[in-house]
Amino acid sequence: MGDLFVLVISCIFINNILLAQYLGNCPFLGTSKKMETAIGMAMAVIFVLVLAGGLTWILNEYMLKPMDVVYLQTLSFILVIAALVQFVEMFLKKSIPALYGSLGIYLPLITTNCAVLGVCLINIKEEYTFIESLVTSFAYAAGFGLALVLFAGVRERILLARVPKPLQDVSIGLITAGIIAMTFMSFKGMV
Amino acid sequence: MALSLTKEFTKGLWAEIPPFRLVLGLCPTLAVTKSLENGIGMGIALTFVLVCSNLFISLLRNIIPSKVRIACFIVVVATFVTIVELLMQAYTYELFLTLGIFIPLIVVNCIPLGRAEAFAYKNGPLSSIADGLGLGIGYGLSLSALASVREILGNGTLTVWGGTPAFTMSPDFLPFKFLLTAPGAFVGLGLMLCLMNLIGKK
Amino acid sequence: MIPALLLMLGVGGVCGIVLSLASKIFYVYEDPRIAMVEGVLAGANCGGCGYAGCSAAASAVVSGQAPASVCVVSGKTGAEAVAKVMGVEVGNAEAPLSYNMCEGGSRAADKYHYMGVSSCKAMAVVFGGKRLCGVGCIGLGDCVKACVFGAVKIGPKGYPVVDDEKCVGCGACQKACPKNIIEVKTLSERLMKFNQKNDPLAPCAQTCPAEINIPLYINQLKEGKYKEAVRTIRLRNPLPLACGRVCPHPCEDECRRGIEDEPVSINQLKRFVSDYEMNSGSRIPITCAPDTGKKIAVIGGGPSGLSCAFFLRRIGHQVDIFEAMPKLGGMLRYGIPEYRLPKKVLDWEIQGILDLGIKSFCYVKFGVDFGLGSLMAAGYNAVFLGVGAWEDFSLGIEGENLEGCFTGINFLQRISGGEKIKLGRTAAVVGGGNTAVDCARTLLRLGLDKVYMVYRRTRKEMPANEVEIIASEHEGIEFVFLAAPTRVIGDDQNKVTHLEYLKMQLGEPDKSGRRRPEPVEGTETLLAVDMVISAIGQSPDASFKKQDPQPRMKELELTKWNTIDNNPATLQSSIPYIFTAGDAATGPSLVVEAIGGGRRAARSIDLFMKGKAVEPMKDSLQKKRIHESIFTHVDGVKKTPRAKMPEISVNERLDSFVEVDLVLPEVDAQKEAERCLNCCRICYNPDTDFPMAKKAG
Repeated sequence: MGDLFVLVISCIFINNILLAQYLGNCPFLGTSKKMETAIGMAMAVIFVLVLAGGLTWILNEYMLKPMDVVYLQTLSFILVIAALVQFVEMFLKKSIPALYGSLGIYLPLITTNCAVLGVCLINIKEEYTFIESLVTSFAYAAGFGLALVLFAGVRERILLARVPKPLQDVSIGLITAGIIAMTFMSFKGMV
Repeated sequence: MALSLTKEFTKGLWAEIPPFRLVLGLCPTLAVTKSLENGIGMGIALTFVLVCSNLFISLLRNIIPSKVRIACFIVVVATFVTIVELLMQAYTYELFLTLGIFIPLIVVNCIPLGRAEAFAYKNGPLSSIADGLGLGIGYGLSLSALASVREILGNGTLTVWGGTPAFTMSPDFLPFKFLLTAPGAFVGLGLMLCLMNLIGKK
Repeated sequence: MIPALLLMLGVGGVCGIVLSLASKIFYVYEDPRIAMVEGVLAGANCGGCGYAGCSAAASAVVSGQAPASVCVVSGKTGAEAVAKVMGVEVGNAEAPLSYNMCEGGSRAADKYHYMGVSSCKAMAVVFGGKRLCGVGCIGLGDCVKACVFGAVKIGPKGYPVVDDEKCVGCGACQKACPKNIIEVKTLSERLMKFNQKNDPLAPCAQTCPAEINIPLYINQLKEGKYKEAVRTIRLRNPLPLACGRVCPHPCEDECRRGIEDEPVSINQLKRFVSDYEMNSGSRIPITCAPDTGKKIAVIGGGPSGLSCAFFLRRIGHQVDIFEAMPKLGGMLRYGIPEYRLPKKVLDWEIQGILDLGIKSFCYVKFGVDFGLGSLMAAGYNAVFLGVGAWEDFSLGIEGENLEGCFTGINFLQRISGGEKIKLGRTAAVVGGGNTAVDCARTLLRLGLDKVYMVYRRTRKEMPANEVEIIASEHEGIEFVFLAAPTRVIGDDQNKVTHLEYLKMQLGEPDKSGRRRPEPVEGTETLLAVDMVISAIGQSPDASFKKQDPQPRMKELELTKWNTIDNNPATLQSSIPYIFTAGDAATGPSLVVEAIGGGRRAARSIDLFMKGKAVEPMKDSLQKKRIHESIFTHVDGVKKTPRAKMPEISVNERLDSFVEVDLVLPEVDAQKEAERCLNCCRICYNPDTDFPMAKKAG
């Protein structure tokens, strides 16, 4: 149990997927202009990533390994993730229209979010058990959400600053992300 | 014809050079640019995938039904990524290890998918190859530039290929380690973008 | 090789099967037309239409929320293609336009002087967008940046100005504005807008019962845009000529200039621009929304009925007016004497309203010539009941029916109708309201030697308009204050000879705040008169309720004052399809109140027609003030005298019914408009330059 806790802390803070592992940067910059969008995206990522983490672990453990075709990881994982996202979209539209209304538009973005595929691949590489995979998937996604929401908050404020023209938009965004990443570095050594 | 091919090719080198003009594929840009070697390796890998997938999709563009086109693009790209992965594992194992997870992640790097949707699906194979080649090389150049800066200033070396530095700063040089960390990557890329903006659009 | 192939086939197969199953199980019906409409849209996903991408726009079109012309990129051909899919005509829906509520003035520069920031949204985030004003335009131009059609510009005064020609009504500016200043609305929405809690409203605009945007039209007048000013007034008031003459202008009581100086002569300015239109020889075209195909009966052609009909017609409904009198106008025609509102002017104004395509039927009385049943049978979808208050209260004293006794409205109505009445030489008019003053001044013009006004309280308590009281003093009417009639005395031929009254004294203030008059015993006094006119108030004539054979009529509830009971916010009566406003609902009140009520009823009728719940406007300011907008002092005002209303001399007046008050000359009107402080909710432009602008300059 304690191990899982350590795992969660390290996934959220120390190895934050965005700020330490460089994964999921496109949606990070794309959906962080508004707090509302950032929260929606964060929720959608958490939702999909936990499902995808579990599913790809099963696929790897019971299909790829026995058949000795681990080299097909990338191909099969992305296929499964794409199908999963599509499935979730259809499911939500029918069963929970309210949730679909708030998360739906972010779902298509997730297929190409490298954080999702990345975490699935990390899970396999680190040889986590099924439970650990689920927990890390959740923790990484939560870390992604945390960074995204923090960043969106800062970005809404950046609107106020008089940014020199060449630095505007993405450029200042990246530098800000760098500073946030620096603060996350201080978590190192916590565990 | 030749003129338009040149145009498709050169736009990737300057007018639409990723990730500066076309802000796509940021993750590997940040992650692998610790050394020039990584940057070049990533550039080559991406160029290969981009050219192949562009060609393939362009050839198949009349067969792929538009409803499932994204799924098809993903499969095509994933196939070539797997091929690159296996090739690198066989011939440049060291590099494969340092680039690690970012090779398979080319699948979800928005550049190949984006070009497939925006260009290859609508254009012929020749222009598609030119487009892929241009953008791939452009991307490689960008990565190399960023990687050079980060490696020289952050580590005091410059490794072109093979793991051994081709150039080392004098021992008095105190490496600016910050640039090799994650925040350094963000700030470095941000400043590069700023520089590109300064030089001016187009 | 083989396992790899098998695996990929397997994974692909499973994914395919699961997805195709899922698409069956989780199938949500989508109108196939959505895909068809999306197919003909430009597909640029530009968001210019105000929807999130083309597919959202397509579903909005199919669900009827967006017109066929929604796509701003594909233009007319696109609209035709969409219309073909939907099977409708192009241009059936109203085009929304962007407009700006805040007049800004040079205040924008004054108040929003933030160094280094050039985004309204940013300012709104940090400072709530204000240093002083929480509702006004920030003036940093987010709307300008948002408009992809170049239709919005920051005007010379620092607030956005919309070019109607270029505006496509996409709504981008509205979304960009953090203060809800710039709004995209259709004409109908603008016509049916009522003052709301968060609107940038000057005190005068809050006070006006018709909710006219007063600072806006004064500003337009100042800039010489008289036509625009008339248009602004007509968004709220269809009878500016009549109102400009008879309105007691409650707006002027709240005028901020009035705190330090004399208030701006708002009503004179309204009269000036509306007279300008009348005298210009051509009518300013009044635009109406496309026809909705609904038919509404308006019973009563008075100010409330005319207002309700006007607004219903402008939002596209078909309206017919039924009037019991020979001509339209109600109290305006029969209750207000010629010298205050010439019939010629009233006719011109009413004709303009009828020209919109409203049919009128006069000389038909509700409950007698037609009833609820016949209206329903004729296919009317709703009824507006604006029958006014025409029943004079009686004094309830001895001798009231002697020859020479009249009641106020009845008397005025007969005179207006051209009836010859046998007159005496001296008359006593009982009452202190406008009707009483009108009766007294009319009697003078009819050639009587002496007219007394007998009122229970003192001049201070008289409810009549101050201007009217002053005019009647000028004209030589004698006031008998603190006098309560007790008896009318007649001779043996039953002709009036005297009015007996009891002297009164003022006691403690009553609920209305006026000091209650108390009789002083034994002070009976005789006033030698041969005519007595009692004008002490009226109530609606609700006889139609008994006369109408339609059983449903019994459900119409009346109050104890005989007015028609209604929901004061929606004006819906106890019968859902009957709406009511004006004197019939409120008891005797102001013309402008009836006009405002007519518009409010039009809004409710429109909701009712559309099958929506008839609910009051949210955060409505009806009869409420925004607390923060009411000042106790106004700095920086240099006293300048108010424009004097030109009037004809007393001698000229008494011989005829010629209009007494004249219109301001253009120069004076301009000068008077300059006196307007151009207030908004909490700001105003003092005469002196703003201190901030001075420092900056």
